[in-house]
Amino acid sequence: MKRIFHHPPVKPTGRRYWRSVEEHADTPEFRRWLEREFPDGAAELEADGVSRRNFLRLMSASLALAGVGLSGCRRPQTYLIPYTKSVEWLVPGRAVLYSTSKPGRLGAMPLIATTYEGRPTKLEGNPLVPFSNGGTDTFTQASILDLYDPDRAKTFLQDGKESSAQALDEYLTGVQRDLQSGQGAGVAFLIDEQYAPTRDRLLGAIKAKYPQANFYADEPLGYGEFHAANEAIFGPDVLAQPALGNADVILALDADFLGQEGQIDQVRDFSNRRRADGSAHGMNRLYVVENRYTVTGGMADHRLRCAASQVPSFTLALAKQVAAATNDRVLSAVAGRFPDSSSQFDPKWVAECANDLVSRKGRSVVLMGSRYPAWVHGVVLTINNALGAIGSTLNVYDAPRVKAASLQELTANIKAGAVKRLFILAGNPGYTAPADLQWPEVQKTVPEVIRLGYHVDETSPGVKWHVPEAHFLEAWGDQRGPEGTYLPVQPMIMPLFGGLSQVDLLAKLLGVPSGLEAVRETFRSVARGGDFEGAWTRLLREGYARDSGYVPAKRDFDPNGLPNLMKVAAPLPAPVNPSALEVVFAADYKVEDGRYANNAWLQELPDPVTKLTWDNAALISRSTARALNVADGDLVELTVGDRKLAAAILVAPGHADFSITLPLGYGRPAVGKVGQGTGFNAYVLRATNSPYVATGATVRLVQKGGYHLVQTQQHHSMEGRNLVREGTAEEYARNPTFAQTMGEDAEIPPNLSLYSHPPLNAANQWGMVVDLNTCTGCNACVIACQAENNIPIVGKDQCDRGREMHWLRVDRYFASADGDQDNARLEDEPEMVMEPMMCQHCENAPCETVCPVNATIHSEEGLNVMVYNRCIGTRYCSNNCPFKVRRFNFFNYNDRPVLDRIDQPVPGFHGKQQLYLGPLGHWGMDEISKMQKNPNVTVRSRGVMEKCTYCVQRIETGKIVQRIKAGVTGDLTLPTDSVRSACQQACPTEAIVFGDLRDPASRVTKLRRLPQNYHLLSYLNIQTRTTYLARLRNPNPKMPGAEKVGKINAEHEHGGGEGVGNEPGPAALNQGTEDFHHG
Amino acid sequence: MANFFPRWTNFLPLKILFCLMVLGGVASAAYWYYLTPEYMRKGYEPVQPVPFSHDIHVTQLGLDCRYCHSYVEVSPHSNVPTTQTCMNCHQQVQANNPKLAAVRESWQTGRPVEWVRIHYVPDFAYFNHAVHVNRGISCVSCHGQINHMEVVYQHESQTMGWCLDCHRHPENRLRPVNQVFNLDWKPDGGQTQVELGTALKQAWNINPPQNCAGCHR
Repeated sequence: MKRIFHHPPVKPTGRRYWRSVEEHADTPEFRRWLEREFPDGAAELEADGVSRRNFLRLMSASLALAGVGLSGCRRPQTYLIPYTKSVEWLVPGRAVLYSTSKPGRLGAMPLIATTYEGRPTKLEGNPLVPFSNGGTDTFTQASILDLYDPDRAKTFLQDGKESSAQALDEYLTGVQRDLQSGQGAGVAFLIDEQYAPTRDRLLGAIKAKYPQANFYADEPLGYGEFHAANEAIFGPDVLAQPALGNADVILALDADFLGQEGQIDQVRDFSNRRRADGSAHGMNRLYVVENRYTVTGGMADHRLRCAASQVPSFTLALAKQVAAATNDRVLSAVAGRFPDSSSQFDPKWVAECANDLVSRKGRSVVLMGSRYPAWVHGVVLTINNALGAIGSTLNVYDAPRVKAASLQELTANIKAGAVKRLFILAGNPGYTAPADLQWPEVQKTVPEVIRLGYHVDETSPGVKWHVPEAHFLEAWGDQRGPEGTYLPVQPMIMPLFGGLSQVDLLAKLLGVPSGLEAVRETFRSVARGGDFEGAWTRLLREGYARDSGYVPAKRDFDPNGLPNLMKVAAPLPAPVNPSALEVVFAADYKVEDGRYANNAWLQELPDPVTKLTWDNAALISRSTARALNVADGDLVELTVGDRKLAAAILVAPGHADFSITLPLGYGRPAVGKVGQGTGFNAYVLRATNSPYVATGATVRLVQKGGYHLVQTQQHHSMEGRNLVREGTAEEYARNPTFAQTMGEDAEIPPNLSLYSHPPLNAANQWGMVVDLNTCTGCNACVIACQAENNIPIVGKDQCDRGREMHWLRVDRYFASADGDQDNARLEDEPEMVMEPMMCQHCENAPCETVCPVNATIHSEEGLNVMVYNRCIGTRYCSNNCPFKVRRFNFFNYNDRPVLDRIDQPVPGFHGKQQLYLGPLGHWGMDEISKMQKNPNVTVRSRGVMEKCTYCVQRIETGKIVQRIKAGVTGDLTLPTDSVRSACQQACPTEAIVFGDLRDPASRVTKLRRLPQNYHLLSYLNIQTRTTYLARLRNPNPKMPGAEKVGKINAEHEHGGGEGVGNEPGPAALNQGTEDFHHG
Repeated sequence: MANFFPRWTNFLPLKILFCLMVLGGVASAAYWYYLTPEYMRKGYEPVQPVPFSHDIHVTQLGLDCRYCHSYVEVSPHSNVPTTQTCMNCHQQVQANNPKLAAVRESWQTGRPVEWVRIHYVPDFAYFNHAVHVNRGISCVSCHGQINHMEVVYQHESQTMGWCLDCHRHPENRLRPVNQVFNLDWKPDGGQTQVELGTALKQAWNINPPQNCAGCHR
């Protein structure tokens, strides 16, 4: 008797989650796409050109040829190569961990680097540092790959010809003489934004020695306007940082503080106030006003779509409300300077938001996007002052910075002939400079340019010297954390190509013997006397200097600075309309300002919101697309003033109308192999007066469907089950177990399994809990998993066929707010939720029962184990996996040049990836790429299935360490929570918790006992080991639309259960699984 | 009509079948024996760049295994000694012996001695030395009586089945931890290996993994 399982039907109407516009429209193409397990070219192997039959013909011919040689018969001789001299601390085969940190604009990320035999393979956050919880972000996780970038600048270039470090030294000696004689006249330094004590000290020394030298900063995503406002109000050298742990109510005005603009401590503090442990008491509330969905917007309790050019108007409307409610005279005066612009916003939204902020006076804060003009920051600071935020939810620190003028001033000085010698120590102005500066031409007029660059790129042509830059893991340095803690930047490896860091180059100019000496000299003032060597050792050992944070500034809010700030306020831009659109130059989640454009992990990472890989696109709302008559993949020409750019359109749910978001960093003209031909260069449209928003843009259709965008979002669709479960804080207080009885789970059939399993009787039973309440969907876990587990990249074409290899993905669902599918507004006002999805390690795993060769089996510890050597690649397991988390190696992605194309004129193959050359193609991994691989994880080959292993290498290492420690005592109990998976380790919000379910003290056990804990697809009786904590939103009941927030699964509450196949089978079949919880 | 086939052909098909079966059996047996690590790998004894004798160093001079393989107790990998380790003694002892030319050259040039690998565990299998030697498995169980070898050769087949034999019945190999590096040790006091091993297994809570994930990651 065949049991046909019917999933509970999806209600045709009512609120539901959907993942892409196509799914929502439910077109026949989408249905067909969905119903195929391996979407494109699975059975045919290759959809266009070569059929499976032809392929087999080719293969058999080449095999026959290969057989003639019979060269594989003899065992190859391999060698054991020891060190000549023993290396201190180094034990071959064992990881050595060092503390270091990754530079950032407002503060560095403290790190622990894992090295094997001297090569760093993985970066993790340093939980010892007081402001960090050990989490990281995507850029940090991926920066290890930058170290091993085959396209790095590898040689010193003098006038474009290969030179040497010695020649540079000689040249710099000459420069020193010139500097001395001219007091530094005509010399300019272009630097980036960092809080780097040693670099700043050396720059100060240069300024003191050569007073005529000038500093300029180049940061397309810089904080210049933000600092300008703070300094106008608080005085020079201040840094304002929100303290979100104290904030009950947060309003983010286009401030992506959980994503692009966030610091690790802010993300941690925010999520700590978001977590619900049986009660949602004390949960914070987040209001977000933004033009596009950011990860911060996805966490919002109330979100207002608002064109970015109108955010200043919104700020003023809010300022008026807050001024009225608090009777703050300064704020009234500031708001009164501007004409009333509040009519375009829902007055109730503004008023109730303001009331909520004011009602928590001293416990609320308003955050402003960093790249808005200084006067807007001034208004926001005044609002924060009226809200009593300063000193409570907004810390103001004394934080000295290097005084640097803007790139615009540098251009003016170059044009005036005042710059004879330019040191470009950071940045890539040839690519990122505002278009109206005409930087490449300007740079050519400087007689001597010395460029420190990581790649030979857009800034390199015509420079006198191109100096290869050292990665931050290759050179000594130091940094300040966002709250001032002194952090070392410790090199893990000698510069692979002999590069220099900014500190090294400045040290050479000053005659300081080495970067290390310079850093130690700086640290002397931080250590403040005492045992210096002891303090230095402790600094490197712990990764931070104790009690070295900034001193809270004893400076008051000084309203006298405001009039000056407001003076430069431009007239408020008119509301956007179809003939005058705005273009927002957003920071990209993957390549940032373009500096990561050659990082293959980041290029292949799906954008957290759009799920777009390998490209950027012009994001617009559905209504705007209708008004402009364009659709996904249409090539359009954007015109701003006299600048034009062709870009592809992508409709983004939740986007503001008549606003276009164009992420920066793509379409680079001169970049390595990875970044070539990806996306569109938004810098072409960006000018000095529009660093963030350009208004008055128009759009003209160039070609319908002219560009192929690849998104991963339509892969793995889950057909509207209650995978993400959501409620409100208020509902949680009333019915804490709401998530467990939702939808299909209202009525679960009796536990029946036809299959018997090995007993789950081992001492450790592994499990995972993912807290959807704190997950922002930032993707740090995805890259951490990729770095830890040697996951290859596959390229855009393979992604298009659904063959990306990520073991862990983050599903992003949009929830229709109104539930009416015919409602035209539906795609414009959705809620967004994130759900990390990886192998759920089902106890009744459907994949295991269909494997013909026992390649996927269950361990006694509850792991669903994948045995690569047994796998013959039938892909039945993937077919039977309800979560679609198994990934198949269609090619040998590790050993084949994934990014190269076939340039030989082979019919049917020309222009395709080299992968398709099979045995005729190039084979073997770059030496430099091999260095990154984690030696504890097998590098998989073609034809095998792979998936999340719960980081089994970390589990086994933990067990082995305990066994070694136990020796003859036989105490094999692992210390509680000693094994952490890579994704858990990387998560900045601690949303992923892994551990031993049998250990009553472990965090995972405690979280699983929470009432909002639920299993996915539990009506299938698969008994997943990974569970989820339902998401809670904390709406303000007085806000407009509050009744729609967090009630996404509401209509499912009494549905489901009816779809289960035939009558329950005989009791004898009810073998189920050993319930280890009773063991 | 005369018989088309002579009488003796009556049993010909059966005879052919029998011959084929015997041939097949022999071929299979030959394959099972000659093409498996049991035959292909056991006894592998390549020529090393330095004619190092374990017999002289361990049995005659009494060096401990851990003098050269110094990290075997803490690392998954049992290290091959650095040139520096050799030179600790050979700067004085046998300082001009021509057999040590390769070592001296390595010391002078800084280029390592390239020892030929004998025991090869594939990259997808993760063997950990430290956990074995700390829990009563001696070097001799996997490497044979290496202390008596003039030239090192592979003593065991080191197949997965061979690994599992011991993981299923560790009592056949367990010994007191202080005898792990004594390769000549035999159980005494009237106890057999199995009796002693069983007692140790219980006392130390020895429970070797038999699951794939124990070694394959």
